[in-house]
Amino acid sequence: MQRVHDTDLIRLENITHAYATGASSQAVLYDVSFSVPTGQSCAIVGASGSGKSTLLNLIGLLDEPTSGRVLLAGEDMTNADAESRAIARNRIIGFVFQSFNLLPRLDALDNVALPLLYRGIPQPQARQAALTQLERVGLSNRSHHRPADMSGGQRQRVAIARALVGEPSLLLADEPTGNLDSQTAQDIIGLLLSLNRERGTTLVVVTHDTGIADRMARCIQVRDGRIEEAGHA
Amino acid sequence: MPRRAAITLTSSHGYGPSWLHLVREPVENLRQLGRRAVLALLGIAVGCMAVVALLNIGHNAEREAMNVFKGMGSDLLVANVQIPGSGRSEALPNVATLDTAALRQAIPDITAAAPLILTSSDARLKGHALSTTILGSNADLPGVLDLQLAQGRFLSQFDTHSTHAVLGANVAAAWENAGIHAQPGDRIQIGGYLFQVIGILQPAGQNPLLPAPPDDAILLPLEGMRRIIPSPQITSVLARNPNGATLVQTSPALQQWVEGRMPGYEVNVQIPRLLLEGMAKQSRLFSWLLAGLGSIALLVGGIGVMNVMVMNVAERRREIGVRMALGARPRDIARLFLLEAVVLAATGALAGAAVGLIMAWAFVHYSGWSAFSFSAAALPLGIGSAIATGLFFGLSPAMAAARLTPVQALRDA
Ligand SMILES: Nc1ncnc2c1ncn2[C@@H]1O[C@H](COP(=O)(O)OP(=O)(O)OP(=O)(O)O)[C@@H](O)[C@H]1O
Ligand SMILES: [Mg+2]
Repeated sequence: MQRVHDTDLIRLENITHAYATGASSQAVLYDVSFSVPTGQSCAIVGASGSGKSTLLNLIGLLDEPTSGRVLLAGEDMTNADAESRAIARNRIIGFVFQSFNLLPRLDALDNVALPLLYRGIPQPQARQAALTQLERVGLSNRSHHRPADMSGGQRQRVAIARALVGEPSLLLADEPTGNLDSQTAQDIIGLLLSLNRERGTTLVVVTHDTGIADRMARCIQVRDGRIEEAGHA
Repeated sequence: MPRRAAITLTSSHGYGPSWLHLVREPVENLRQLGRRAVLALLGIAVGCMAVVALLNIGHNAEREAMNVFKGMGSDLLVANVQIPGSGRSEALPNVATLDTAALRQAIPDITAAAPLILTSSDARLKGHALSTTILGSNADLPGVLDLQLAQGRFLSQFDTHSTHAVLGANVAAAWENAGIHAQPGDRIQIGGYLFQVIGILQPAGQNPLLPAPPDDAILLPLEGMRRIIPSPQITSVLARNPNGATLVQTSPALQQWVEGRMPGYEVNVQIPRLLLEGMAKQSRLFSWLLAGLGSIALLVGGIGVMNVMVMNVAERRREIGVRMALGARPRDIARLFLLEAVVLAATGALAGAAVGLIMAWAFVHYSGWSAFSFSAAALPLGIGSAIATGLFFGLSPAMAAARLTPVQALRDA
């Protein structure tokens, strides 16, 4: 296992990715290389179908590239097995999805505590930590509500609390405000950016919203399966 | 900092949910699965119920059969004497006595032997007539059949020519019901003769191999039978061999000996113990056959579990993806669904076992059998096989769930 560029939390080297569709396969990313230093906030923008989610899934170890290398926190995860990838996701990554992806059977508190339970932390401590995170996103009074009983903005805040509970060094958000009205969207982005500022959590956000992209320190444009650094407008 | 993080990034030491959480989660999930879980549970419950109920009923049936035959000593030999069916019966002389002392000498393993002569007749006590069996035998009979006296004494070798009689328990009870109390010293009239009651027997129970149950008979000395029927004929010889090792070998010797004393007659010897063992074997076989029937029901229940689990995995694909994104390893996902299948099966098994026991109890109760006896093997067997069924049929859906990659699972179906 080879470690390089210790200051880069994310490092992608010559990533090519193709989805198998029936007999043929369709390339989505061509020879993509870039890195994100620890503590940076970074937007990924691009047209629909350009490959933004694909890129984020590769960074988040949810998928494996067809070729190229993925390094997280200096560790080469390219050939890691499913188990190591799961453990790495749990230890260093927090996910925020467009559709919240809370488990409908669990209340807010247990949804937030779930990553810690997989980490092997006993339930009482996990719930205590979950409550602290719910307080941080301003939802401690909703801890026993099911997702169905909450608004979209509240659900996304629960999801952010869940992404934060494991104290990750990397937050990955795929269109986190896509299902929210613009005021709630600004609140959520403000929350993510404050985490980035105050705790140095590296933040990568896929978005269609140029207003949101502008609030990030850096903006990466995906176009026809290749990336280019985009200056802020 | 990143270097430190890298060292512990993928170490699996202490990773994974606690066992408590592993068990609590499926229970919670199944509770919310509601009616569908109940249907799958029902299949397993019916299977487990069938196994437990049928094994218990089989067990009790076996016990009941054994109870009926319990009166038969395990060291008894019964030689039945028959007139051959060839039509030369007229020519055969009647045999009314046997020298049992000679028999004991000829076959030393036999410790006691009693020939039987049987007839039925009216017996009259204090003006009340009763139609009963009259059984002629010798002084060895109580020893051979383990008969116990309630009152008085039994016929002895000195009674051979006296007009003494011993009453079976049911005979005394029948007169008692008619308001006549029979006791030693009473005189009863059988045929044209008066006999003096010298003893009354305790109930001895059933023995289907005997030509007549002693409980329902009046016992007379063998020689005294001539007073009641003109030409008495020995129909059985009972013998006892307490040496279990030679019991089977004694049988042909006894047959030969009796054939020698009663030429021309057909003699066959039955050993109750062998009969008993055969019956026990047959009844066990029957129990297993019934349990096999239960297993088929279980199999059907298992397919129900598989159906629910396949649906469950398909419906919760996104949940699987979320859990994987949050750090669930393939084995955590497999365990989650496998345990759900097991909890489903175990709940069904417990419910089924309880109902099965109640059914078996009710069956035994309403069959009028003796007290319900609990089959020790039935519960572990029924519940164990039900849970194993759940495990087996839950395995493939759980493995399918674990094999999903996070992106596959998270993608909209
Ligand atoms: N599992 C898949 N199998 C086949 N093709 C896929 C799969 N996932 C994505 N694609 C294709 O890859 C391309 C990029 O998809 P991706 O989801 O990365 O786009 P995106 O930039 O996130 O788009 P959007 O902004 O609409 O979310 C699309 O053309 C899509 O059709
Ligand atoms: Mg997308």
